[in-house]
Amino acid sequence: MDLKSGYRQAMEALYLACIVVSGVALIVITLIIPLGVFMRYVVNSPLSWPEPAAVLMMVMFSFLGGAAVYRAHVHIAVEALVKAVDPKTRRIFLGAADACMVVICLFMVGYGAQLCRALWHQSIAEFPGLSVGLTYLPIPLGGLFTLLFIVERLWIGAPPPTSVMFRDQPSAAE
Amino acid sequence: MEVLVLLGSFAVLCAIGMPVAYALGLAAIFAALYVEIPLEAVMLKISDGTDDFALLAIPFFVLAGAIMAEGGMAMRLINLAKVFVAFIRGGLALVNILASTLFGCISGSSVADTASIGSVMIPQMAKQGYPKVFATNVTICGSVQALMIPPSHNAVIYSLAAGGTISVAHLFLAGVFPGLIFALSLTGLVLWTAHRRGYPKEKAVPLRDVPRIVLDAFWGLITIVIIMGGILSGVFTATESAAVACVYAFLVTVFIYRDYKWRDLPKLVHRVVKTVAMVMMLIGFSVGFGYMMAIMQIPAKATAFFLTLTSDKYVLLLLINILLLVLGTFMDLAPMLLICTPILLPVVVKFGVDPVHFGMIMILNLGIGLITPPVGPTLFVGCAIGKVTMEEVSKELWPFYGAMCLALLIVTYVPAVSLWLPSLLKF
Repeated sequence: MDLKSGYRQAMEALYLACIVVSGVALIVITLIIPLGVFMRYVVNSPLSWPEPAAVLMMVMFSFLGGAAVYRAHVHIAVEALVKAVDPKTRRIFLGAADACMVVICLFMVGYGAQLCRALWHQSIAEFPGLSVGLTYLPIPLGGLFTLLFIVERLWIGAPPPTSVMFRDQPSAAE
Repeated sequence: MEVLVLLGSFAVLCAIGMPVAYALGLAAIFAALYVEIPLEAVMLKISDGTDDFALLAIPFFVLAGAIMAEGGMAMRLINLAKVFVAFIRGGLALVNILASTLFGCISGSSVADTASIGSVMIPQMAKQGYPKVFATNVTICGSVQALMIPPSHNAVIYSLAAGGTISVAHLFLAGVFPGLIFALSLTGLVLWTAHRRGYPKEKAVPLRDVPRIVLDAFWGLITIVIIMGGILSGVFTATESAAVACVYAFLVTVFIYRDYKWRDLPKLVHRVVKTVAMVMMLIGFSVGFGYMMAIMQIPAKATAFFLTLTSDKYVLLLLINILLLVLGTFMDLAPMLLICTPILLPVVVKFGVDPVHFGMIMILNLGIGLITPPVGPTLFVGCAIGKVTMEEVSKELWPFYGAMCLALLIVTYVPAVSLWLPSLLKF
């Protein structure tokens, strides 16, 4: 296996990991919030943890899912001007956009890590064993993963139609 | 100059094709560097933007809508709509609009509405002799109702963009009549066109079939009762009601409708994660952008600017409507709500416009932008489903734009349309 196909496979696995972690987080949140309502009204024993746990998982799926969304090319972008200009100008525009993406990802990695470090020794009231810094870890991770996906696109090209990214359509029989 | 750095760099970054979410973040960084605000503060705001409990309503509403849409709900709502309007001239076009109204009670997405209703109705309409372009136009325009009729996750986004000070329950109720007026204006246009072009009537649904059809749709429509009943009775918050609706939607589609296949659940979650993560990233970065706008006092400057143009509330609303219609042609609804609300809301409040009323104006106005080229996600999906080109559709969209702008004018200049229902609330 050459270096390029190895990197492509690693990015496929990384994409899948981002989607699985985000998806599991979404399902868990969907279950624990109604559980909180049930415990409050039916069992009459309100739980304090579903709400903060849901918020922690939301930060996770926002930034890890956000990285996957970049690879899947689903982020909203204004492409009218890019499509209207000649191919040479388009290449310049898209190159500049990629450079800007690298800058914002580096910002997420650098300042996100700094935020985690600053809050590392504070703990969450509902989860005393859990560091506040850890809850913001998805920000630098999301930045790093997006950076890796940018490298993949610039080095190897856009993921092929056989990519795991496109296996999310409903069954044909539906 | 500092305003130019923030808004100008954002415009340039968008123009070169950078994703809007990241463009918001980078523009905020450029502005922070220019006015010497520590970048740590911008990062803190971005992280704040995604850890608000109220935000969770957005993924839940998207998930509940997706489960219902793919669990056979669209077909059942179309069957229900046929009971009421299929026998009128242009019946299938009217069924299309009414089904979208009903579907709006489940999903707040015009793209999901177009995909679900359009994939059933456009082929049916074409088979009965309606031109494909007309069928596509009815579908995409009808789907805009979903943005206003509760539960609309766009109302949640507007509430958050307004600083979380506007009640989601009020916004949900405020959307009912604007959604219905929008549907009525399209219905008027369809009736007129159907009579002029001689579109067919359908056979009336036999009375003996009606109870089964109503019961079939009833299980799905209960979702809106759970959501609105829960919120209005004070039993749930908007977020909790949306989560309960997800669980209910899943139980109905799996155990009552039995159309949904378990093996498709991972695919559905995959799609929902892609949609939701995209919106959440937008929200996170827009909070950083909004923070810089506040530091640069852009809302106050915008108010001062509009005051130099007019001191009349109605002229101001007309100007803002024109501005939003133009901007809406270039950008999607969610980013426009997140960017424009913090700028325009203080302006209109200064002129005495109710924030709930303004929310409806913005959502309807930017909703029309979803079906205008060059950037119209609903238009693109409709064209793909209807197998027609964007040029063909755009040529015949003008009467529909007229009907939609009429609805927009009514919603803009008759505040009671939006505010009467929320005024009945005691909280």
